[in-house]
Amino acid sequence: MNGTEKIINQVNPYKPEPARIVRAYDLTDDVRFFQVRFADMDLALSFKYEAGQFAMISVLGAGEAPFSISSTPSRPGLLEFCIRKTGVVTDAIFRLKENDFIGVRGPYGTGFPIEMMKGRDILFVMGGLGAAPLRSVLLYCLDDRDHFGRISVLHGAKRPAEMIFRDEFLHLKKRSDLDCYLSVDKDDTGEWTENTGVVTTLFPKVKTIVPENTAAVVCGPPIMYKFVINELIKLNIPKDQILMTLERRMKCGVGKCGHCAIDYIYTCIDGPVFTYWDVLHMRELI
Amino acid sequence: MRIVKLKQDRLNSFLEAVSTDSELWGPVKKGADKHRFKIVDNPAEFDLDYTRTILPPKKIFLPPRFNMFKAMPTAYEEETMDPTKKILFGVHPCDIHGILIMDQFYTQTYNDPYYIRSRENTIILGHSCWPDEHCLCHSTGTDVANEGYDLFFTALNDEYLVWIGSSKGDDLVRIVPELFNEDLSDRDIQNYIRWREDRSKAFKAEINFKAMPDFMELKYRDAVWENLSHACLACGSCSNVCPTCTCYNVNDKPRLSENASDIARCWDACTLESYSEVAGGENFRESRSERLKLYYTHKLQAFISKYGKPACVGCGRCAATCPVGINVKTVAGALDGEEVDAFWSRYATEVTK
Amino acid sequence: MNNGKPKIGIYELTGCAGDALLIVDCEMELLDIFTAADIQSFAMAKSDNIDGELDVALVEGSVTTEKEISELKDIRERAKIVVAFGNCAAHGGIQARFDDKEWQENLKKVYGNQKFTHTKPVRSKPIDEFVKVDFYLPGCPVSKEQFLHFLTRMLKGNPPEHYPTPVCVTCKYNENDCLLNNGKLCLGPLTADGCGSVCPNHNIPCFGCWGPVENANAIAELHLLKEKGFSVEEIKKRMANFAGTKLADAIKQL
Repeated sequence: MNGTEKIINQVNPYKPEPARIVRAYDLTDDVRFFQVRFADMDLALSFKYEAGQFAMISVLGAGEAPFSISSTPSRPGLLEFCIRKTGVVTDAIFRLKENDFIGVRGPYGTGFPIEMMKGRDILFVMGGLGAAPLRSVLLYCLDDRDHFGRISVLHGAKRPAEMIFRDEFLHLKKRSDLDCYLSVDKDDTGEWTENTGVVTTLFPKVKTIVPENTAAVVCGPPIMYKFVINELIKLNIPKDQILMTLERRMKCGVGKCGHCAIDYIYTCIDGPVFTYWDVLHMRELI
Repeated sequence: MRIVKLKQDRLNSFLEAVSTDSELWGPVKKGADKHRFKIVDNPAEFDLDYTRTILPPKKIFLPPRFNMFKAMPTAYEEETMDPTKKILFGVHPCDIHGILIMDQFYTQTYNDPYYIRSRENTIILGHSCWPDEHCLCHSTGTDVANEGYDLFFTALNDEYLVWIGSSKGDDLVRIVPELFNEDLSDRDIQNYIRWREDRSKAFKAEINFKAMPDFMELKYRDAVWENLSHACLACGSCSNVCPTCTCYNVNDKPRLSENASDIARCWDACTLESYSEVAGGENFRESRSERLKLYYTHKLQAFISKYGKPACVGCGRCAATCPVGINVKTVAGALDGEEVDAFWSRYATEVTK
Repeated sequence: MNNGKPKIGIYELTGCAGDALLIVDCEMELLDIFTAADIQSFAMAKSDNIDGELDVALVEGSVTTEKEISELKDIRERAKIVVAFGNCAAHGGIQARFDDKEWQENLKKVYGNQKFTHTKPVRSKPIDEFVKVDFYLPGCPVSKEQFLHFLTRMLKGNPPEHYPTPVCVTCKYNENDCLLNNGKLCLGPLTADGCGSVCPNHNIPCFGCWGPVENANAIAELHLLKEKGFSVEEIKKRMANFAGTKLADAIKQL
């Protein structure tokens, strides 16, 4: 290693590195939080990634799938993922316990354009599992707080029990250096003290926005984008300062297998982070 | 470039002499009138009077199915990547261009070690050809190869003009220098020039490739895509036979008797329905027309805007393969407003009736 | 006691038992299969069969009697996962190629006015006409490779990934010349993959014995074959052979 940066799988980018599940607990009924550490300690400490990048996770006997990294690069050593149970690979991941091994390779794709975001106000809008990739960049901004302007967070879920990282976000509300607004479509507990309504009902609460100096970071279910983008356009936030992250099927993560292609964009190497302006030009998404 | 001459009846002696420590691959007859690249014991098995093989040379570098790893609970063992030395003889210019595109694709951003290792161990010996009604390489500018081979054999009368394209190629010639003749006469040069001109005139199929990116953009919602999709059998053959199609799928194949899996890789095709299916069953491209658009966006537009050349080398395999006549030629023709003679076009008329 | 091994039952309804025979034919793997799984019931291979709770039931054959309907429903109740094992179970098999009227006629022709005492015959149908099927493993018989892959995945707790492809994919892997282009009545594009394109490998057109692949474009192929000079009757007959009831609706439209 010669004290230099070890690039993961420099020789064979398809080869996963064994990693141990350090912690695993439920975030909601079907979403679980996994904290993992590479078995190779040197790699665990030197693994570098950007907020918004993803990794391929493999489970022996089940297969491999892409997952966005939920932890922040500003806190090295551990990688965190929130994973929803949706298919064969995720079913298998859910059966694993702490201290079990998975395979991890990456990081892949483009991260959020931190340099562009620096100095600007950041407006996070997330719904459902959208908090998984956005948590990474949010924590990154908070760890480097001085470099960013006003930070506002709008986080929506269907019900309180389905809000990813609910306690973490309730905790963030106590901080004075960001404005965090939470909402659920429907409160079935009777104990929800935050806003009720779809995530767009939080927009009026956001303090003054200087559109040209704002970067909006959006992630959520497909249905959410339409309404949220509408609000952002109404606020006059430039289309190339609206950042979003896309998901597709992937088998390689390195621009070879072709499965993530949208038009002639490869989500895995050209994305997954795109600006709304980029997305407007993807014919398959229009 | 150094050019030497070889009597055609000495070709087999040459191939035998240079392939003592390598596998020798080349075009061999399959059935009545088809060909495929096959490994042979004796170069006499080659049939050089061929137009195209069913599958392009990509199968030699990345076979349709192979294992990438043996996966174990806490380790991943790389399957031995094929390090066998190979000599691939009889490759036509279009396929050499196909290999050049794959070389570029598999080394950009990330390397594909399986391709690279196999490719590095393969010597490419090109061979001249004569076009048939499907050959489009004149339009794609891939009818002549100026790079991408170690030796290139142009057949003229009873001799070959042999272009030496690499140091490795030069080494091969030096194994049996007595077989070659260094002196090119004026007559040889004249013969070659005349042959080039005659061959140029022999092309029957043309496509306006330069206009294709614009057509793909402007006719993205044209009825032609629906017309194609009615007839498409979604068999994936157009991808499997295409020298520039690289998509693949990966499967975890557990072993019965041990706690380990084979991580298996196989060719995939974007025209297959399951290609765009994601976990949970959602499919981003349920309709055949969307999948065909992706295929042709890649061939006729995307690659051109990224690399300045189409992801089509004009080999005509899609034209020789698709049972319903969906191929680069008919699709480009239809986009260009031509009346197209293909089953899909006749069938579309029937459907709309 | 099964030591936590998955409990598996292998059942045969109406068919040639070729799929069960294929399991017995996995000679190199049999010991591993019996080591990894607790085979509770397998009439072809063992005698001490138990009809209890199952993790996976492989059901071969189509349903042709009322008795089989109740047997099948009993299996469904006992099994967490039911697999339609082989073409007959998945699509009804050759015996399902007749419609109601033809079936009645055939029954009469063969059995005359004989009275059925043991059980009542019904028109042959695939098992999913009666119970929920979790996985389909078609084939005539199923392929060893597909079966072992499926079984191994199931034994290790992970169902195989859904990725249906037609015979043409493997046929091209095997570098065969397209038989449709050679004027043959080949059903490759309509047929589920898994056989290794064994017929086209020998220049014999695909008969469709794996049954139809999902969303097969049968109508386009019918028109294509018509254009190549085959009669509609001929094409329908070939398509109906192994597709059982699955292509029936599509075939009627033709």
